[in-house]
Amino acid sequence: MSSLAIKRLESALHARHFDRTLLNRRAPGGRVSPTGWTPLDAALGGGWARGELSEVVGARSSGRTWLLQATLAAATRRGEVVALVDAMDRFDPRSAAAAGIDLARLLWIRGPALTAEHTRSTLLEAAVSKAVRAFDLVLRSGGFAVVALDLADIPPRIVGALPLATWMRIARVNADRDTSALLVGDAPMSRSAGGVSIRLAAVGVWTGATAQQRRLARLDLRADVVSARHGQGALQVGA
Amino acid sequence: MTLITCLVRSPSRPATPGALEAVARACSPRVVPWRDEAAVFDASGLDRAIGPPARIATEVMRLSAERGLHVRVGIAGVTTTAWLLAHAQPGISIAMPGREADALAPLPLETLKVMAVGPAAPIGLRVAPDLECLEILRRWGLSTLGDLARLPRGDLHARLGPDGVRLHQVASGEDECPLAPVDEVARYRERCELEWPIDGLEPLAFVVARLCESLEVRLERADRGAVVVTTRLRLVTRTSHERTLHMPAPMREPRVLRTLILLDLESHPPEAAIDIVEIDLEVAPGNVVAGALFDLTLPSPEDLATLVARLGALMGETRIGAPVLVETFDGRTRAIKAFKATKAIDAIGTIEAIDAIRANLPMPGWSLRRLPLPIAARVCVEQGRPVRVTPAARGLPGGPVKQCAGPWRSSGAWWTLDRRTWDRDEWDVELPGGVYRLARDRATGSWSIDAIVD
Repeated sequence: MSSLAIKRLESALHARHFDRTLLNRRAPGGRVSPTGWTPLDAALGGGWARGELSEVVGARSSGRTWLLQATLAAATRRGEVVALVDAMDRFDPRSAAAAGIDLARLLWIRGPALTAEHTRSTLLEAAVSKAVRAFDLVLRSGGFAVVALDLADIPPRIVGALPLATWMRIARVNADRDTSALLVGDAPMSRSAGGVSIRLAAVGVWTGATAQQRRLARLDLRADVVSARHGQGALQVGA
Repeated sequence: MTLITCLVRSPSRPATPGALEAVARACSPRVVPWRDEAAVFDASGLDRAIGPPARIATEVMRLSAERGLHVRVGIAGVTTTAWLLAHAQPGISIAMPGREADALAPLPLETLKVMAVGPAAPIGLRVAPDLECLEILRRWGLSTLGDLARLPRGDLHARLGPDGVRLHQVASGEDECPLAPVDEVARYRERCELEWPIDGLEPLAFVVARLCESLEVRLERADRGAVVVTTRLRLVTRTSHERTLHMPAPMREPRVLRTLILLDLESHPPEAAIDIVEIDLEVAPGNVVAGALFDLTLPSPEDLATLVARLGALMGETRIGAPVLVETFDGRTRAIKAFKATKAIDAIGTIEAIDAIRANLPMPGWSLRRLPLPIAARVCVEQGRPVRVTPAARGLPGGPVKQCAGPWRSSGAWWTLDRRTWDRDEWDVELPGGVYRLARDRATGSWSIDAIVD
């Protein structure tokens, strides 16, 4: 009797598209977009789920941009097209090319050239609002394998000033589409909208015995995977 | 019996654009229009339906008069003769087939100047007589086309070359080649004159939608798609506001066309209320694409054009596109180009291109986040290396330098003697709050934070 009631409740939630956030459910054989980082792909069951809104968060130099570019590179190498909404115009094409992104397959939407560290809150809020609208437009258009919104380096209080339903609405827009929607930021934004949330931390690895030989070799990444699907406990992935 | 008819607009009366051609096409499907000044058509067979050439000419004159045109009509068995007669004499001129030379004989030699219609003229009329050649003929004592036709052609060739022969052929009533008719050019243009001027894009949307829908019907019937869309708005100030859109692929979906036009007008609005709306399309054969089972899903050209237009209206037209690598040692330089969703089948070539790029660039385990406006910083230097950084911006943490690598020196554009010149040392430094790329301008000695390693 109780199982019947649970099934009814689940179907009611499914009918209202709330099952993604409340239930530990993932469609079997659902399509994914590989992240381009093998340990993380293994932890996520292949990569970012399509039709969901996932996020990568972390402090500066935690490898957020590297993971974003690795994801975009993996998609463009398969011949798919991707889009990046660059809220603060901080995308570096050279780094992207070095990461393996086919730049011709990347739709780059550049926000205003602001310095978040200098700019007044009102301007930043306007830039974030525009970026979210652009993100929404690209997702609605369809046909992109990965659509990312880069809100990194924007103070969390500015992102937090967005209406509460923003991410839920965007997650609904992307539901059942063949697109992985990805947010990149300093702090968690859309955890309630379903999808996967990755918290990154990194340590710089420097090589060279002398001062003249020293160079930054790589960032040693560590990812905490937190999501509705992995609700039992956070997974940790190391480089 | 071949009958060629030439219609020429009276020099003193202007003609409505396309009106002469319309008269010609009403008489025959084989028409050669020439600007809005003349039209030649093949009237062969009309004699069975209408009567002798004189009746045909009268009917053509009547048809022209009904359309408000004042024309001259020339009829002959060859194109050049009909052309010459219509240009040389007002009213109706007729040369019965086989007797063209007789009809041309009394015309003055200067009549040949009307053959100078230029290289863009229809085939058969590209005579372009050399004026020096005409002067020589005049010095020989010739005054009419009959005089010219009586000269031996071989001797004329010996003295004047091919130009002389061609003029002799024209004067003798001979064509170099038969009439080459030109197909009617379908014009995809819709126009709406408004009873009351409209101000603002919202009411304009209804008008544009209606025009696009009627254009779509015609485009679909002809299996054509619009590649260039020109929107002309006649304003109440008697000025015209014109916008041209280039489509990434032939398209005819009215909803897409309407959206693109309106988004463009939203970015470039007219200065006053609108009296007349006109949409003019340049078309190309329709873009028929059969979907394949194993192809990757890419945005369709229509969706992509709409998306880019919407994004352009939101973020600015110059802020949307695909990034490109600029061939310079200045890592701060960034550029963008128009984005096109290429087919997945190109992926193999693209992967090779990526591998080539990767072979030439360092493969870091990190990426850079460029600061579009570098942040100034105060840097303490000991033994030539930065040891403490204090950024001018509050949001960026400073502090003692834990690790640093550099300097990497680069300079360029010094030959331009303008602001593009750069000469700098770059450092990667690890601070308590992250890893940054610092730059020191060697000319001024000032430091700045250029990028964040992430």
